[in-house]
Amino acid sequence: MCTGVKLYLQHLLWFLDSITTHTIILVTPALLFHRNKVLKEITNKARQRGDRPSCCTQCLQGASFRRFGNTLSERFQQLRVWQKILKVIGAEFGTSVLSYFVFLTWLLNFNIFSFLINFSFIIIPQFLAAEPNNLSFTGLELFTGAGYFQQTVLYYGFYTNATISKIENGPSYNMQLGYIFTVGIYFLICFLILLFSMAKFFSRNFIQPQKFSGNASKLLCTWDFNITNEKAVKLKQKNLHTQIKEDLAEENKEVLNFSAMERVCRIATHLLAWVVSLGTAVAACAGVYFLSINNLELFMKGYSNDLEGQGAMLVLPVIVSLLNTLIPFFFSWLGHMEKFQTPGQHLYITITRNIILKMSIVGILCYYWLNIVATSESQCWETLVGQDIYRLVLVDFIFCLLGSFFGEFLRRIIGTTVCLNLGLPEFDIARNVLDLIYAQTLTWIGILFSPMLPGIQMIAFFIVFFVKKVSLMRNCQPPRKVWRTSQMMTSFILLLFCPSFLGVLSLLFFHTLRLKPSEGCGPFRGLPAMFSAVTEWVKSLESYTASKWVAWIYRNLIASELFFFILCTFLLVVIYLYWEIIQAKKTMAKGLRQQIENVSLAFSCIFCIIWLLC
Amino acid sequence: MRWKSKTPCSQKSEEPIQPTSLSLFLRLFYRYRDLAPQLVPLDYSDNPAVTLPYELIGSMPELKDNPFRQRIAEVFSEHGDGNMTLDDFLDMFSVLSEMAPRDLKAYYAFKIYDFNNDDYICKSDLEKTVNKLTRNELTPEEVSLVCEKVIYEADVDNDGKLSLADFQRMIIRAPDFLSTFHIRI
Repeated sequence: MCTGVKLYLQHLLWFLDSITTHTIILVTPALLFHRNKVLKEITNKARQRGDRPSCCTQCLQGASFRRFGNTLSERFQQLRVWQKILKVIGAEFGTSVLSYFVFLTWLLNFNIFSFLINFSFIIIPQFLAAEPNNLSFTGLELFTGAGYFQQTVLYYGFYTNATISKIENGPSYNMQLGYIFTVGIYFLICFLILLFSMAKFFSRNFIQPQKFSGNASKLLCTWDFNITNEKAVKLKQKNLHTQIKEDLAEENKEVLNFSAMERVCRIATHLLAWVVSLGTAVAACAGVYFLSINNLELFMKGYSNDLEGQGAMLVLPVIVSLLNTLIPFFFSWLGHMEKFQTPGQHLYITITRNIILKMSIVGILCYYWLNIVATSESQCWETLVGQDIYRLVLVDFIFCLLGSFFGEFLRRIIGTTVCLNLGLPEFDIARNVLDLIYAQTLTWIGILFSPMLPGIQMIAFFIVFFVKKVSLMRNCQPPRKVWRTSQMMTSFILLLFCPSFLGVLSLLFFHTLRLKPSEGCGPFRGLPAMFSAVTEWVKSLESYTASKWVAWIYRNLIASELFFFILCTFLLVVIYLYWEIIQAKKTMAKGLRQQIENVSLAFSCIFCIIWLLC
Repeated sequence: MRWKSKTPCSQKSEEPIQPTSLSLFLRLFYRYRDLAPQLVPLDYSDNPAVTLPYELIGSMPELKDNPFRQRIAEVFSEHGDGNMTLDDFLDMFSVLSEMAPRDLKAYYAFKIYDFNNDDYICKSDLEKTVNKLTRNELTPEEVSLVCEKVIYEADVDNDGKLSLADFQRMIIRAPDFLSTFHIRI
């Protein structure tokens, strides 16, 4: 009977697992199937080195295989260099710090992709139809983005609205359509990539909230096999030892029961801290707004070429970056004052406050650009906005490097010479990731105004990667506390998607559909809105019978409200169905768990009775 | 149960070689060969029976400081003694790569922590694990306390030891496991 009950228990557990994990069969990795193929290839390669090809076909086959192999190996060489750097970082500092660098390379890929398609479809055609640049180049343009750069491909205002064709009666390139479709398709692809990455992360890292076994998983699941440096291994063992001792000590402490008065005090402290932090964010936004209005007046008066005039243009970006750097320190000090119950709470609330600050500053700047600059009387408002964004991106990059210098290098000097009990600094993952998200948001906003901005951000990210890596290796120590990497990475990708990317998308829609482009410059001059280029093109397609279907699709699917309404309703129904399925599975899992407990209790009672009877 | 025996040996597959797995295997083969070039031939067409001793495997830079290197080598070796053939070596690093699915990694992590090979992680296995993780610096009472807490939390069928199913259930609640149970090569 014992084996029977045990079998029944095992079946119940198996069924429970299948509901919660969906996979119970051990899946052999696909790469094992290729092992024999690989061994054959190694043998062939050994033979090829010894034998000489006897006939022509063998010659050709060998040459093509070798060429294919060479190109493949070149590609892998580049990946190998990257892999080697990531391996070295992971070996010494573990998975948590590695996740920052992996996130940085992921964002770098977005920028490389954007730069490539912008370069191929927008910048190269413009080079063919470029007007000569009469302005002079002084070195200061690298910082201010004005002057010589105004008449280059860097900004929207330089692009022509004509249809470019180099050869008489040859193929022509419509700049308006090229510009809007390139940007549109890039954002669509980014949207899909972000959506699928988020879904993948959620499905892998979703933790069921009930019964989170802290200690067991801490012991058996968190040893980082990536760490291969002897010193780092010893440090990690020491940290684990300290953590276990702390956990055991906490168990012995009495559970603190707060009296009603103390609870009210705590809630009041939290409320006050929130009011102070939101007030600081609002004050920062107001400061930025008034500063930017001043900035516009400076432009309307006409900028002077002297040093003071150029310097005045940099005041806004420097103030914005200073606010973005210093206020987070204030927030983290506020968090220390508040005395949260767990360090996890402290971390999440500090990150939330930082995100509110950064996104509200970006929001107020966008309001200023799209509502005030766009309706001002300037010659070419898109170029003005592009210059502002260029300066913001550049100053943010400089502040990032300075932050690394002060936050890590100087802190190490202080911690090892002057104030010895501070020790080496730890790499602040949250602050650095939020900086990356902010920089990427600025780049996405600026793509429409400055097509070369992704290229500039790509170079900036490259430099930041190597600077941070060198600074990390020389100045920092591995993290002491266990950092829930997967949960944090999921929330960072969610932050990249939700306020950042979706905000940029809504700005994009507003800009292309509602704002009037400037009369005197850019590819959309004279049109009531950017999107009118597409509507006019579709109208012109209706005259050709071969492309009437394009016009039909546009009229009935893209421009019709009924289609979007039906699509939204369908999506809501699908989401509701999935939600109900999840709830049903949760209930079933709960019931089965109860059954397991009941059966094991019944079994132990029966065993006791039998033992007593004997 | 060795899932390795289920792989079809004579598969005339027209599947395209995935570049990442091909490059991984080639790299692993050259790493294996670099450990003892005089023992490992370049020609593997007649399946030579070459086994490298544990001392060579354990001296690899990726493994030499890992506290569980001996258990890893024992789990993946054919006779459980730590001496590995090329097949065992490839298995080991493919399970520890980022491409292996979670259930496979969980299965092998369970076997690594099961020191006495009885298909259960009992209290003595956990004590050995804790000692390896903390360099024997905790007192025996503290070790015992920690092990009891782990068993209390994770043992659902109340038999005083952790089975594979208990371990897999624990893995679900630790999403970091996929990224920490990983060796880059």
